[in-house]
Amino acid sequence: MTKRISSKIVRGSGELAILSLLAEEPLYGFEIARQICERTGGALQFTLAALYPLLYEMEKRGWVEGQWQVNQAGRDRRYYRLTSVGRKQLTPLREQWRSFFQALDSLAGLSHA
Amino acid sequence: MDWTELVRERLALPCAEDVLFELASHLEEVYTDARARGTSDTEAIRIALEQVDDWQTLAGYIARTKSEVESMNKGTMNHRTKTMIVPAIAILFCIGLALLFVDHAAILSRVVWFACIALLLYAAASEASRLNGRTKSLWLPGFVSLTAASVLMFAEEFFLVHDPSFYFTDTSLRPSHLISGLPRWFYIVWLLVQLPCGALGAYLSRRSGGTRVARIVAGAFPALTMFFLCTLLIPINAFFEHHSFAFSPSLLTFSVLIWAALPAVALLLGAAPFLKESTRQIA
Repeated sequence: MTKRISSKIVRGSGELAILSLLAEEPLYGFEIARQICERTGGALQFTLAALYPLLYEMEKRGWVEGQWQVNQAGRDRRYYRLTSVGRKQLTPLREQWRSFFQALDSLAGLSHA
Repeated sequence: MDWTELVRERLALPCAEDVLFELASHLEEVYTDARARGTSDTEAIRIALEQVDDWQTLAGYIARTKSEVESMNKGTMNHRTKTMIVPAIAILFCIGLALLFVDHAAILSRVVWFACIALLLYAAASEASRLNGRTKSLWLPGFVSLTAASVLMFAEEFFLVHDPSFYFTDTSLRPSHLISGLPRWFYIVWLLVQLPCGALGAYLSRRSGGTRVARIVAGAFPALTMFFLCTLLIPINAFFEHHSFAFSPSLLTFSVLIWAALPAVALLLGAAPFLKESTRQIA
């Protein structure tokens, strides 16, 4: 299993992780956290305290939109979906992270570590 | 276990029920998930509670962000904008309109219009969280740049020639008026003041996350407006008033050159330093 990454780094990557997931389908909070954990092999783990401030901030910026829906089990869940503004953020955000990793790699030799 | 009540107690924040319910649901799902993996009840509760290490910090984040989202969703303006700024804009707008029909009120009329625009921009800045990205990074900076150019032109007219609106008349567009004397100095100074106006538009656009194209458009906005006036509104107006200007392509071309093309160059020179990404954005 991949080694768990520190919560400070996880928070920094949160916007990209959430936007990438919501670009595929609308998800509710717990499911977002679960999928991030699963798909990164447990390396990125979002607690409630890390996830919701980020979701609400992104909602304030108009990147995501939350809507209450009842699932098949009759349970209310707030599903977040990507807005057109959020979709436009995804490409530049990916570019920024790519540049960041390249810069860090050239500095710290990550690919040889 | 009543998770909603637990969240309500620990957050100690007068926030909406749906926020409490959403956070409580999350904790409950963590708990249920842990139980499904065979964890004991006590251990599952502990795992769920580990989701938040500092409830006060979380409450602070939620208070800051969620209240603004709710006000946006309800479509409400903030109290001061609704009760003071919007009525003031409406009153100034009516006064500005009335002054158009009053003789010798050119200066007062423009002062009222500028005050109206300033309040409009203030209202837009106050409600910035309700504006979409394009408005914030293009229209608003462009409008600020245009307003700055208009105010500076007014100031120049007022202090240099003491005759507001003199250079807006069609006679001022004739080449013979611009190549000598005061009109030439007026024009050169006017071109120079375009530099900070272009810089202001591009800077505001960049600060709002505008693309390079948005920054160029916001910086050159006064020239684009003048281009629109020269090529569309002036000929239409002149045509309906049976003015010779409408039938003179050379005058029209000249007016586009001096009022739109050359100012555009000056504006873009001013905007140039802000077309690069800021070091803070790169970081």
